[in-house]
Amino acid sequence: MSSGPDELEARIGELRAAVRRAMAAGDRAAARRLRAGLREAERAWDEAVLGADEPSHGPSHGPSHGRVRPPARDQAHRALTLLGVPAAPKLVASVHAAFFPAEPAASLANLRRDEERSFRSAPHARPYYLCAALTADLLAPARGLLTISTWSLERRVVGRLSARADFLAAAINVAGHVRRDTPDVQRLLWRFAANIPDASGGAIGTVDPVALAGAARAELAVHRDADRRERAAAAARAAAGLGEAERLFGSRLRSLRAASGESHRPRPTDGEDR
Amino acid sequence: MTETAPDLDRLRGGAPPRNHDARTIAALTANPGCARRGVMDAAGVDKDAVARQLGFPAPYGQSQFAITRGNVFEQQVKADGCAELLTLLRDRLGLTVPEARYDDLEEVAGSESREMRHARTRRLLARALETGEGTLFDHPLLRLEIGGRAVYLEPDVIAFQLAGRFHVVEIKSFAVIDGQAEPEQVAAAARQSAVYVLALRRLVAELGHDPARVAHEVFLVCPENFTNRPTATPVDVRPQLAVVERQLARLTRVDEIVAALPADLTFAPGAALPESVRAVQARYAPECMASCEMAFFCRDEARACGATGALGRSVRDDLGGVDSIAMALALAEGTLEPAAELAETAAQLRTATRLRREALGGLH
Amino acid sequence: MSVLSSLARLEAAATGRAQPVATVRHCHLAGAPLVMIPLKLAGEAAAPLAVMLGRDRAEPALLVVPQPRNRDLRFAFAADLAKIVLEHIEASRGAAEALAPGKDGEERFRYTDAPQILLPNPGGVGFLARLGRSTRFRSTEGPYAVEPGVPALGRWLTWFADRHDHPGSSLLLTVTEALRLHWATGQSSLEDGNLAALMGWIDPPDGLDGAAAAARAEDPVVCPPAGPATDPTFDNEVLAPAIASYDETGHEQRVRTALEGQLAPTWDLMWRAVDLLRALPEGASVAKRWERDRDGFTWFHRNFDEGVPQPRRDTAVRAARRLHDLERAQDAYEAQRAFDDPLIMAEHRLNGQAFGGVVAGGDPARLDESGKRPKLRPHLLIATADPVRLDTGTAVCNAARPGLKGKIVDIGPDGVTVELTGGMGNRLTPAPGSVPELGDRVVFTSLTGGSFGPARFPDRESTPWTHGGPPPEYVPADEDAQEEWS
Repeated sequence: MSSGPDELEARIGELRAAVRRAMAAGDRAAARRLRAGLREAERAWDEAVLGADEPSHGPSHGPSHGRVRPPARDQAHRALTLLGVPAAPKLVASVHAAFFPAEPAASLANLRRDEERSFRSAPHARPYYLCAALTADLLAPARGLLTISTWSLERRVVGRLSARADFLAAAINVAGHVRRDTPDVQRLLWRFAANIPDASGGAIGTVDPVALAGAARAELAVHRDADRRERAAAAARAAAGLGEAERLFGSRLRSLRAASGESHRPRPTDGEDR
Repeated sequence: MTETAPDLDRLRGGAPPRNHDARTIAALTANPGCARRGVMDAAGVDKDAVARQLGFPAPYGQSQFAITRGNVFEQQVKADGCAELLTLLRDRLGLTVPEARYDDLEEVAGSESREMRHARTRRLLARALETGEGTLFDHPLLRLEIGGRAVYLEPDVIAFQLAGRFHVVEIKSFAVIDGQAEPEQVAAAARQSAVYVLALRRLVAELGHDPARVAHEVFLVCPENFTNRPTATPVDVRPQLAVVERQLARLTRVDEIVAALPADLTFAPGAALPESVRAVQARYAPECMASCEMAFFCRDEARACGATGALGRSVRDDLGGVDSIAMALALAEGTLEPAAELAETAAQLRTATRLRREALGGLH
Repeated sequence: MSVLSSLARLEAAATGRAQPVATVRHCHLAGAPLVMIPLKLAGEAAAPLAVMLGRDRAEPALLVVPQPRNRDLRFAFAADLAKIVLEHIEASRGAAEALAPGKDGEERFRYTDAPQILLPNPGGVGFLARLGRSTRFRSTEGPYAVEPGVPALGRWLTWFADRHDHPGSSLLLTVTEALRLHWATGQSSLEDGNLAALMGWIDPPDGLDGAAAAARAEDPVVCPPAGPATDPTFDNEVLAPAIASYDETGHEQRVRTALEGQLAPTWDLMWRAVDLLRALPEGASVAKRWERDRDGFTWFHRNFDEGVPQPRRDTAVRAARRLHDLERAQDAYEAQRAFDDPLIMAEHRLNGQAFGGVVAGGDPARLDESGKRPKLRPHLLIATADPVRLDTGTAVCNAARPGLKGKIVDIGPDGVTVELTGGMGNRLTPAPGSVPELGDRVVFTSLTGGSFGPARFPDRESTPWTHGGPPPEYVPADEDAQEEWS
């Protein structure tokens, strides 16, 4: 049914009030229903008043429109290779934006889940997979980290010092790859330099990659041996006790068991007990 | 306490007990003299649901802009194994360079089961106490017994310093400008953190160590000035700790109030709910609106019976504690003879009435 | 809070309408004040969302930031706001009036008028203070350059916010505080913080009593909050989709309309409140306090170009001086209001620092011949029922005419006997009309309008080492200009 802008406005006002009251009273179900009607009315108003075929002039539209986006997995692979250590999607995206600025960023959401599905349906069909890092104590998928399947198990397990050690190693690798000094690169370097002691040589407000790498190396020397030992031990356990898929995507045995309704007595959960 | 438990279940009307968190526990301390609130909290009644059923819903909802801002800031501080937090604590706590371990307690092997997370938290904290290993514990899960039930509490981070102590770290998104923040927001954060300190101390004691190994100093990590850079501010929560401990102790003495109530009283939904709620006396003050979901119902009740408390605590105090607006006005008019203890108040009110009339009547 | 104002609240609750707690207006109200209603984005330190402002109720200006997280849009907003505020400041100066030269013979001026800003509530003051802080250190050059109006705006906003703290100042007024100074409602102080509810008690719409009008005002869907905070359901259901629409299409109309809808009702309320306040007769000492405000404004305005942005924290000396000044000003302000307004003086009569009644006897022509020369020292017996708590010998003055001074010589069952010592002329017979006559109603009080002399503080160079030594000279630093908005 087509309504003039005035009627639409009145209806929009009523629906807005109703949605707001429903949400204020905590009635989410009613709010959802009303919201659907509200969105429709708002869309009709936009068309009636602003014109239906508005070409997008908005600030968020750029050259990306219309081009084919490269798949997320390729971007993640490139950025992770540069980083050289397990990393969170946000860091991966920042590295990609800094070093491959010509390419628009693809979303890395759900990447691990999609890769796991792809692997399980056709193992080793692809030359590499983006997969999980494994926690050293439980060999479970570490929250929020991406790795590459072609890396050794030692690189892909994370112990208690690994978060710090890998941060420092990433700083070294990133600093080593800097060719041009763009604002995105400086921002990325700052992310590291601000959190590594004595890291920001160079003029005020800029980071000197050489100074950054030097400072990172200095601290890394403190943690490296302990970190390597823990990782090696965990990698050995993983190699011995985990199947292929688990080695890539982590062991979630406990939750699988719980889901299947099997009762179980608590297993020793601390790696040292094994 | 166990004798009251079936009574408390009955009061709840069979509904499952409301889950507490640090904020609601801290809010328990807001109005210690209110029996209505005391009973409902002890029984774990869902005050929000009751208020809604009574027709006085408490306004509900937080702006998504605030939520997003809070999440983004917290993620940023905790990124890369809490790199920014580590920098702050190296500066504030004097953590040495080797102290850089990070343990993620947000999930266990992909599972978010509270029992498992709590068990792992206990294990890792015990190891830290015994061997000194471990520095940052991300989203640990603590437990506190309230009214015979387990309540799970989740501080943002716990920091452990070798040869030192555990410090609770809370990440908040309100700004610290030139070293100062809104006092109300700091106070709320301090109250919430005190609950965590309490729970952590009890855990440490259970593990056989000295609870004083949990510092009374918590760190609030907030954005600095108008940027997203974090800054860490130490806050001494001893005053808040004392208040929370006192209030939790009081909760267990709710038996006395319950014993005085009708034997079949229940807050279950139904036609009798308003009467049941009214059977337990409240102590309404305007401050309740900021901390208790029942406030609007109690306010309506106070206004309907002309209570001076509805006008504010200070007004009630000015009136010498006289509870009723009608009575206060009658004393002021001189139409009511005061009881002995109200003689002074009544005299003041009568003088005040005369003076107001004189000034407003234009008499000079 | 006091017994008198609590009593007024009781009366308001009983009658359903707000009751007066003042008989005159105790604040200056400009002919064309700048009414300003700011809105801020939730969760941020000082991210402006919109402001509705103007000197004419028929022509509000609406400034909006359609994407509050966009730095460029924020500073464009600040530049636009600067233009309007700075224009208002210039338009409100009046002429520079020459005054008698100062002690060192230097020329002194005072502007005949000063700018006034009206905000809805104290939250708005905090927001302006933070906005001022976030803009006054910005640089007009370099990588983070802003337009020159922006740091000027910051310095002025900070100055206005500082003046708000000064008791008796009318340069920056919040309407809720101004209304509460003159009316008591039948609800609590906390609820009075809601401008619409407060106005509902003072000036309810037809057919509603105060309580009903206030209840209606508490519904944010019907009565949008006066800000600076917005209602969360408005943020989530109306504002966020509108901002998303701007992000996609670049059209800011939806955001503007949404925010205008939140601001327009408060705009109307503000001007109605101004009308209510203007209807009250102005208190006698208001003009004198406004003169002090004009002095402050003149000084700040004339020194603006050579000045630097206000420092982040006060130095020790400055903080101590500020505290002392505020205390003095508070005492003076309270005394002045009491002399201006019998309803305020009534407070002091209730707590025994003043007393009033009918002149019931005495000796109006009495001479004191104990000294070398005879002096005119009339005695007045004032029959009063007030609870006097002053001792004999206390110096008092007449509330209606403070020039008439005296001291208490006796307090007895018939009343208080006051010996007049000044304000009757220089002769041995009183000037006609200077001494109250039998049957007159009078009020005498121990309050004085003045206070202690100027504070003596070490100047900057001699700050004791216990307070950190002399403060370093202010040198503008790049860091000041560099902060990124969140």
